[in-house]
Amino acid sequence: MGRRRQRVDPAAGARAGALPEAIAALSRSLPSGPSPEIFRRAKFDRPEAVTLAQRTSALWQLLFRVLSPLPVGNALASLALEAQAHLVKSALCSQGYPRLALAQLPEDGSQGSRELLLALSWLLARGPVPEQMLAQARVPLGDEMTVCQCEALASPGPPAPHMEAEGPVDVRRVQWLMGKLQFRWRQLVSSQQEQCALLSKIHLYTRGCHSDQSLGHLSVTEAEMLRDPEGGQQLLQTLERENQRLEAVLAWRHTELVFWRWMDTVLGTCAPEVPAAASQPTFLPWVPERGGGELELVVRELQALEEELREAVERRRAAWEAKAGGCGRGPEWSAARRASREAVEKELGALQQCWKQDSGPARPHGPHRLVRREDGAAGERDLRAAEVIRTLRSQEACLEAVLRRLQGQCRQELARLVGALPGLIWIPPPGR
Amino acid sequence: MSIVTVQLGQCGNQIGFEVFDALLSDSHSSQGLCSKRENEAYQASCKERFFSEEENGVPIARAVLVDMEPKVINQTLSKAAQSGQWKYGQHACFCQKQGSGNNWAYGYSVHGPRHEESIMSLIRKEVEKCDSFSGFFIIMSMAGGTGSGLGAFVTQNLQDQYPNSLKMNHIIWPYGTGEVIVQNYNSILTLSHLYRSSDALLVHENDAVHKICAKLMNIKQISFSDINQVLAHQLGSVFQPTYSAESSFHYRRNPLGDLMEHLVPHPEFKMLSVRNIPHMSENSLAYSTFTWAGLLKHLRQMLISNAKMEEGIDWHVRPPLSGLPPLGKMSLNKDLHFNTSVANLVILRGKDVQSADVEGFKDPALYTSWLKPVNAFNVWKTQRAFSKYEKSAVLVSNSQFLVKPLDTIVGKAWNMFASKAYIHQYTKFGIEEEDFLDSFTSLEQVVASYCNL
Repeated sequence: MGRRRQRVDPAAGARAGALPEAIAALSRSLPSGPSPEIFRRAKFDRPEAVTLAQRTSALWQLLFRVLSPLPVGNALASLALEAQAHLVKSALCSQGYPRLALAQLPEDGSQGSRELLLALSWLLARGPVPEQMLAQARVPLGDEMTVCQCEALASPGPPAPHMEAEGPVDVRRVQWLMGKLQFRWRQLVSSQQEQCALLSKIHLYTRGCHSDQSLGHLSVTEAEMLRDPEGGQQLLQTLERENQRLEAVLAWRHTELVFWRWMDTVLGTCAPEVPAAASQPTFLPWVPERGGGELELVVRELQALEEELREAVERRRAAWEAKAGGCGRGPEWSAARRASREAVEKELGALQQCWKQDSGPARPHGPHRLVRREDGAAGERDLRAAEVIRTLRSQEACLEAVLRRLQGQCRQELARLVGALPGLIWIPPPGR
Repeated sequence: MSIVTVQLGQCGNQIGFEVFDALLSDSHSSQGLCSKRENEAYQASCKERFFSEEENGVPIARAVLVDMEPKVINQTLSKAAQSGQWKYGQHACFCQKQGSGNNWAYGYSVHGPRHEESIMSLIRKEVEKCDSFSGFFIIMSMAGGTGSGLGAFVTQNLQDQYPNSLKMNHIIWPYGTGEVIVQNYNSILTLSHLYRSSDALLVHENDAVHKICAKLMNIKQISFSDINQVLAHQLGSVFQPTYSAESSFHYRRNPLGDLMEHLVPHPEFKMLSVRNIPHMSENSLAYSTFTWAGLLKHLRQMLISNAKMEEGIDWHVRPPLSGLPPLGKMSLNKDLHFNTSVANLVILRGKDVQSADVEGFKDPALYTSWLKPVNAFNVWKTQRAFSKYEKSAVLVSNSQFLVKPLDTIVGKAWNMFASKAYIHQYTKFGIEEEDFLDSFTSLEQVVASYCNL
């Protein structure tokens, strides 16, 4: 397993209560983190009946929270423990977690707390997990919107349920459903326009009310806070909780070295594992964003990783071809294959498009606060609405061109199919 | 969310006035059979949708009035102002000094482009006044000159300039024995153009409404005003506020959007008709009581047997037995018996509305094979009674109701076209024979789609 290497701080290890402090900070910094007691005891896999099950399920749930790409409060959060455990296993596997023992753990939460602890540490070593979770759950005080499309492309949403058609589907039903979708879409646009109009009004009417001169006016949350003091109290409490977690994260960063040394001992108590038959991927340590020099290191490592992935994919594909070469050669099979390949190509194309466009002026990602300003002065990190609108319009034009091209291809394909059937007259619908 | 009404031509303006009047007087009615708070929410919702506020508190209709002659518009403006309850905006109307001689082509190719700028600018101002804008409600007749040609032009413009807003055209179907010789030409041109640029066509047939006035309301000398009031009553019972779900306590924010999503998502099936029950004169109302079961039974039979009103319903018509194939494709030569629906929306208002049982409308035999009742049928229930009726039910239906009238009009227009009668009046202003042929094709397609349900 990869390990963080940092300068050894002799003073930290010498303090008696250092480890419990570190674990306590970690526990406070994670959302609904398990108590420090659970962490400590997880090291020992002894089946102490009740407590083992408790701490194992607590750790499964924590891992689920960390690995789930969707924000809290989603329907996924109410899944049963078995389902959560299963998802954790597959997520870890797809990220390249090396220890087989985790994959073999029972999903009912009856044992394996030590393996779960190791998995959690592995995740902590790979990336700034507490900070990421904090960013996910942050309380936005301003009215925000995102300008880049990366998030939309990267997280495709929950997997669509796979439906088998029971028989031939009447095309009129499909048209009906498309029509409903289009109406919903138009209503969404109208609602967004309404929201914009109202936001604009609020920003206009509250000019001069904000204590921060650079902002100048209130956001919806702030105006609501003034209107409803009770709601304001609740907002205050939420912000205080957020502050506490932030402090916990800072404390964790100060004391984590002690934790890592303790984790070495945990790893030591495990039996040595025989590496799996598949290749042993290397693990890239998380590089903190601290300066230009480190970026080259990252780029080189990314290239190495890409090379490695390519080889692994080739090997996998060869193995799969060998296994599946004999079966399913019917027309539905190749049609399904073609369809899925086209879908992947399209998504890749969209990703590349987005990348190409963003490689222009470096625009910061993530949400931006909307501020209305009369004088037109903008700070160095600010984006002007006019520029954003221009970029979005050009992206829209690009996408529309792609849509028209695809529609043309569809029409040609239809005409070709129709031409192949003798005696059929093709009347296209009246064009808009 | 707000709806902007565009009143076109004599017909559109007269009906528009009655609609706003009916909406506002219902919202002020004291016989709502609900709590004061409920009533206030109802009033507020109705106002937000159709009216804007002025400083002195008189609601101003969210409407744009368009006509090529000033007489009707002036009458409409003054009638509204006289009511004292509401009025039209001062600068919300556009009129000229000349008519258009019932010539569709003149309205579409001459008036339209000439006055496009002014009309669209009036509409834009009205839309900008709305905090949240959901769509347009365009009232026009199908057979006249101004309303129909200009209406088709304006709707097309709205499609181009407001592609994300909803558009519902309220169309008046002319009398079968109407006065205008070229009304069938005007009708097919209007319908084919609107089918392309509008989202929903809500149709009222003059013949049907006339019968309602005669038989149900017992009016001896039926004037246009009577007819328009019946129309306004039906429209009011559709568009007044309704709850958004069985158990929620808020009025629906976007009734136009919800209605369209339920009824007209398919591009080939856009024709809607309205049936409401009960409908009677005030004198009779005082002596009548109703049950939901009775009302819904009659409404269901009206749907199935294609009846225009609750009198003279043919009770022999039955839905085909499930499991058996439908009784052949609908043939237009024989009398139409069973009316198959694409989708239906029933809106119930009044006392004990929660106890109303609409299971009869969920029968799969009523609907086409490719849409199940769970998707095809919706019901909206609201406690608050409408306009002095303790219980009222209205059905907005996307079904084969209008196939026969449509086919009749297309047939008559085709006969005229085949002998090239009056075509020169249209080609003079840029509507070529090809445009006529296009219209015939699209409408034949619509008739065929509905027949194949």
